Amino acid sequence: MRIYSASSEETLRARKLLEDWAGEGFLTKEQYQRLEHETVSELRTSNIFLRLILFLFTLIGSGAAAALFIVVFFSRPSGQTIGIFLLIFAAICYAAAEAAVSQARLYRHGIEEALAVCSVVLLCVGMQFALFSRSPYSPDSLHWLVPAAGVVFSFWIWHRFGLWYAFLAAMIFAASLPRYWTPSHSAQHVTVALLYAIGLLWVTAVRSRHRFDYLEGEYSVVEALLWLGIYLAINLQLSSLNLRGQWWAGTRAAFEFARPFYWTTWVLIWALPPVILARGVRQKDRFVIAVGAIAAILTFLSNKPYLGWPRHTWDPMLLGMLLAGTALFIQRWLAHGPGGIRHGFTAARLSGKDKYWMNAVSPVLGLVTPQAITPSPQTSSPDFRFDGGASGGGGAGGDF
Amino acid sequence: MTILDRLEHWNEQGAISLDQHAYLAGLCRREPFSLFLELNVLLYAGVLAFVAGLGWTFTTWSEQLGDVLVLTVLSAILAACFWYCFSRAPAWSPAETPAPTAVFDYVLYLGSLVWCVELAYLENRFHVLSGQWDFYLLATAVFFFFLAYRFDNRFVLSLALSSLAGWFGLTISRWPAHQDAVYRQCALLYCLVVGLGALLLQRRGLKPHFSGTYLNIVANVLFWALLSGVFNRRGYGVWFVALVLACGASLAWGLTRRQFAFVAYSALYGYVGISSILIRDIRDETFILSYFVITAVVMLVVLVQIARRFGRPA
Repeated sequence: MRIYSASSEETLRARKLLEDWAGEGFLTKEQYQRLEHETVSELRTSNIFLRLILFLFTLIGSGAAAALFIVVFFSRPSGQTIGIFLLIFAAICYAAAEAAVSQARLYRHGIEEALAVCSVVLLCVGMQFALFSRSPYSPDSLHWLVPAAGVVFSFWIWHRFGLWYAFLAAMIFAASLPRYWTPSHSAQHVTVALLYAIGLLWVTAVRSRHRFDYLEGEYSVVEALLWLGIYLAINLQLSSLNLRGQWWAGTRAAFEFARPFYWTTWVLIWALPPVILARGVRQKDRFVIAVGAIAAILTFLSNKPYLGWPRHTWDPMLLGMLLAGTALFIQRWLAHGPGGIRHGFTAARLSGKDKYWMNAVSPVLGLVTPQAITPSPQTSSPDFRFDGGASGGGGAGGDF
Repeated sequence: MTILDRLEHWNEQGAISLDQHAYLAGLCRREPFSLFLELNVLLYAGVLAFVAGLGWTFTTWSEQLGDVLVLTVLSAILAACFWYCFSRAPAWSPAETPAPTAVFDYVLYLGSLVWCVELAYLENRFHVLSGQWDFYLLATAVFFFFLAYRFDNRFVLSLALSSLAGWFGLTISRWPAHQDAVYRQCALLYCLVVGLGALLLQRRGLKPHFSGTYLNIVANVLFWALLSGVFNRRGYGVWFVALVLACGASLAWGLTRRQFAFVAYSALYGYVGISSILIRDIRDETFILSYFVITAVVMLVVLVQIARRFGRPA
């Protein structure tokens, strides 16, 4: 079912690991050169920057080609005609993606990815036009077909090409399905969480067969996404539409939901992060641990709005101290273990990729932060005064 | 054949030693599992949230808390951070120096951000420089450059570069005719100063690993400035020529140094600039769509050739 052979992907993975190990000094130069010859893959990969640019231009070309065809060959096309041709273009894009891999052996190259993404987008837009554009009175009960097709096809793209963001797209399509089935907001939240939970059960069953092989990383990302999806579906404060207003005013989203349901979700948002973290730590799964940490932080952030308590200006300070304190404690605890290792975990850097990402991201974060955290410069008006919050410094009310 | 099978095979062949086999197989089995990245992200987020809360609290409650308390707290944090950094830093070296402790970089970053908060507070409360914010930014930029080079810290280097950019921008905003053209000249001046400075420092062998940060920032500011000139309805010819030259230089630099971010910049900014010139007055949608189809295919062909000849796995 997968378009790439297992041996090709394993070889590619081995090659990347060799590069990493040689960079870290775990292999000598001679060893690396010798082993490199044994890990030659026929797959064509690309640098991350070229991949992004190739992805972009493929999207531009495919989208413009579909639009050009319709503009040139139809003067005033009906919605149905447009829909049918978009469906044909979806099929062409998909075929082109398959050909790009089977003929040109492209792997995470940008082009085949953009073609696959185009095929999903064109399929959904084409279905919408073909089925529902002609009559505004078309039955509402069938509108769910478009996101359902999006779920199925995105899932297929993920399965076939191994693109993690196709799975994310399938999850987003799935999240939009329940609103076609029930008007109840509570039922919608429960349905989405259930859909993701079913996916999670499936993934956990499947990934156990791929321990330490090339597919493990892929299933790890998918599992992490599903955990995050379940958490977001359950956390009513995060998934509420009037998020900012509610958070600022400290009002609850409780009026939308039955009280037992509302308070059950509050219990669940506290229960879920430890479960996710425990699962991640047990599996030594980087992505699941990250989602567990994100869920824990989101729980701290949404707890006050949940309870209807007002926010305080010092809340971020407390959160910051908690995060930094936790990191420091773990770091020291691990470092004091024998050889800097405790229970199979270490705070030391073992991969060159970690350093690469730190070096690449830190200048960007450094550029972004001053604007984000420092008070804005005063205006040139000499009458301007720093009113100590009475005028709403930092955006907060004076009586906050 | 999984990586564990390969390691076994290489060990049997004698390509790797028994110790190497044991160690690398352990790494593949995540024994041990490194939490290095996660702990660094937590520390960064912690510092950021703490300083954001600090700034917000003092901004909101300064009347009730009083200036003395606020300034004492901020100064105490600042002094503690810099005492920690100066007391633990190894002797200065022009080469890349690893941080002496795991939290060192974040303590320095915390100190730098608290410095910003304290300066902002001082000026807002006491108007020491009567609103001459640009001097604060210039002084801050100089101070951050010193810290970045003393402690080999990229976070603080980018703070220095953004403070310097802020100084250029604020100075220009006081000029009587602060229009787009003036801002553009200011951006170009910034690029020139930072670019030449980076080149000089690299030639002198002073923290040459910082040059990537300088060049990426300069390239992006330069391309934005040139593009804003190309988007003008009049007098865009000079800017267009400058954009083409900059794209050529960026492409050549990226290919010779195998830094493909610069290839990507030249492709993206160049495409946007040339497209805006070619189709700005055209209303025929067939022509516009044909243009995008043809140019996208041409770009793909060129980029695939580049990827084949120079590309390497990410």
